Amino acid sequence: MNLGSVLAAVFRRDWTMMKRYMVNSISSLVSIYMIFMLIFAGLQSVSSYVKTGTLDGSLEGTIVGFFVWTFTIYAFSNLSWNLINEAQTGTLEQLYLAPCGFKWVGAATAISDFVFSFVPIMLLLVAMMATTGRWLRMDLVSLVPLLLITLLGAYGVGFALGGLALVFKRIQALFQIMQFVFIGLLVIPVRVPGVKYLPLAMGNDLIHAVMVDGVRLWLLPPGDILTAAAVGVVYLAVGIVIFSLCERVAKNQGLLGHY
Amino acid sequence: MSIPASALQVQSLTKVFRGRGGAAVRAVDNVCFDVKRGEVLGLLGPNGAGKTTSIKCILGLMRPDSGQITVLGQDAQAAYPRILGKMSAVLEGSRNLYWRMSVWENVLFFSSLHGVASHDDREYFGYLLKLFSLDEKRHTEVRKLSQGMKQKASVVCALARRTPMVFLDEPTLGLDVETSLELRSVLKRLAREEERTFVVSSHDMDVIQDVCGRVVIMSSGRVVVDDQVSHLMSLFRTKAYRIKLRGPASEGLEERLAPEFAGARVTDGEADAEIRVTLSEDGDIYRLMDILRSADAVIDEISHEDADLERVYLEIVREERARS
Repeated sequence: MNLGSVLAAVFRRDWTMMKRYMVNSISSLVSIYMIFMLIFAGLQSVSSYVKTGTLDGSLEGTIVGFFVWTFTIYAFSNLSWNLINEAQTGTLEQLYLAPCGFKWVGAATAISDFVFSFVPIMLLLVAMMATTGRWLRMDLVSLVPLLLITLLGAYGVGFALGGLALVFKRIQALFQIMQFVFIGLLVIPVRVPGVKYLPLAMGNDLIHAVMVDGVRLWLLPPGDILTAAAVGVVYLAVGIVIFSLCERVAKNQGLLGHY
Repeated sequence: MSIPASALQVQSLTKVFRGRGGAAVRAVDNVCFDVKRGEVLGLLGPNGAGKTTSIKCILGLMRPDSGQITVLGQDAQAAYPRILGKMSAVLEGSRNLYWRMSVWENVLFFSSLHGVASHDDREYFGYLLKLFSLDEKRHTEVRKLSQGMKQKASVVCALARRTPMVFLDEPTLGLDVETSLELRSVLKRLAREEERTFVVSSHDMDVIQDVCGRVVIMSSGRVVVDDQVSHLMSLFRTKAYRIKLRGPASEGLEERLAPEFAGARVTDGEADAEIRVTLSEDGDIYRLMDILRSADAVIDEISHEDADLERVYLEIVREERARS
């Protein structure tokens, strides 16, 4: 089975879907931008407060945090929402008939999600920078690898929640709570003991260094990059294990196609 | 390597669902059947008989409690998921397709997942679309199609994967008569032209009788009949009778016949009446005559009736229920 052709098929499907749901995609970006504007307005009114060190100390920090948060939400929610939608409509069972195994279709979907959310979120970033007048370093060579490392954790959570949704069905509330948990993970500074072992936190800190302080990837502390990567891989692995366990239960109870 | 004669062997397949209260339902109970290469097998049974569960266990969408499934000589569980390259399916009660994509986009997507995407393959997809009269709707989003067209598009997407085995779970459910007949005739044609193996499940005996060579009848999770459709029909043809009475039938005759002979029907004409009845045991004819005599019926003519699968099936299910 050629995994390349599976990836190509998934890319073509998602490209088609993106075109069909264009209005949807744009409006969700616009609403995220609106939320940012509200926060920005709030920050301006308490600007003295901001300078003392809360919310990571700076407006730049907020932009970076918001940028990473948006990526995270896209990564995690695309994965788990799509899984739920496909289980509901019945296409999930057809994906389970793929001879490469569903796990590769899922992996291809995660990759395609990242690629197709990259450009819109970058546009959002530019819009945020333009509105606030704070221009951050757009060093893509340093940024993209760090984003990928950071998002591994989000994909892990996506797989885990997607798996739970297969078995327990109505867990949308958990998804919404998760969005706020992600904000927490991006806001708590990594110097707080133990925080760097949580998903997103360390990677977010490194992205901050690249975008705000202008540090190139190879000048960042290797130990920190390694920690961020290891944390990402571990959370991804845990997510996939949880998904596999849930898949097993779903197949035992015949739940794959029923919602 | 020798080519196995069987496309599919199902041995002692059992699937038990455990409900909330701990009650266990044996959805599939020690089911065994064999499908030969190139055969069109019908899986017939009322709702809840275990047809869909059996198919989903074969496809690896459900995990059976026990049993062995061999697909084209390979142990399906050991060769999972690679073995799926040999099988495609239209599943009942779900969409099977992306409604926001066109028919053609769906065909390309699902066939690519099976690694079927060459120039020659695309020509074949075009042929299928023509065969199912979907060519004009090729670039229409699936959600805009009628129910019948959606179903036909699902079948095309399954066939486009060019797998040696195709499972169609209730392919004509919810279709109008015309579309159902069209789908059936195309399936028959394909089964004849391409040497693929089909497993068609349905609770509609017409479909099975029309399309399938052999039928496995399931009831309450078990296989109750496994026979050639033609053989089954001839077996029952000898047992289906039509009796013409002189003068109208007496009041309540049908009510007296019905509990004894399943599906017995009495139709009153102007000056005569007709009884249609299927006899299942050797002594039945005497019991029938006793009832007619006590009703003071005058018999004008007795003749064999052509059996149809529906009567056969009703009779079998009735016997099965009486036994359990």
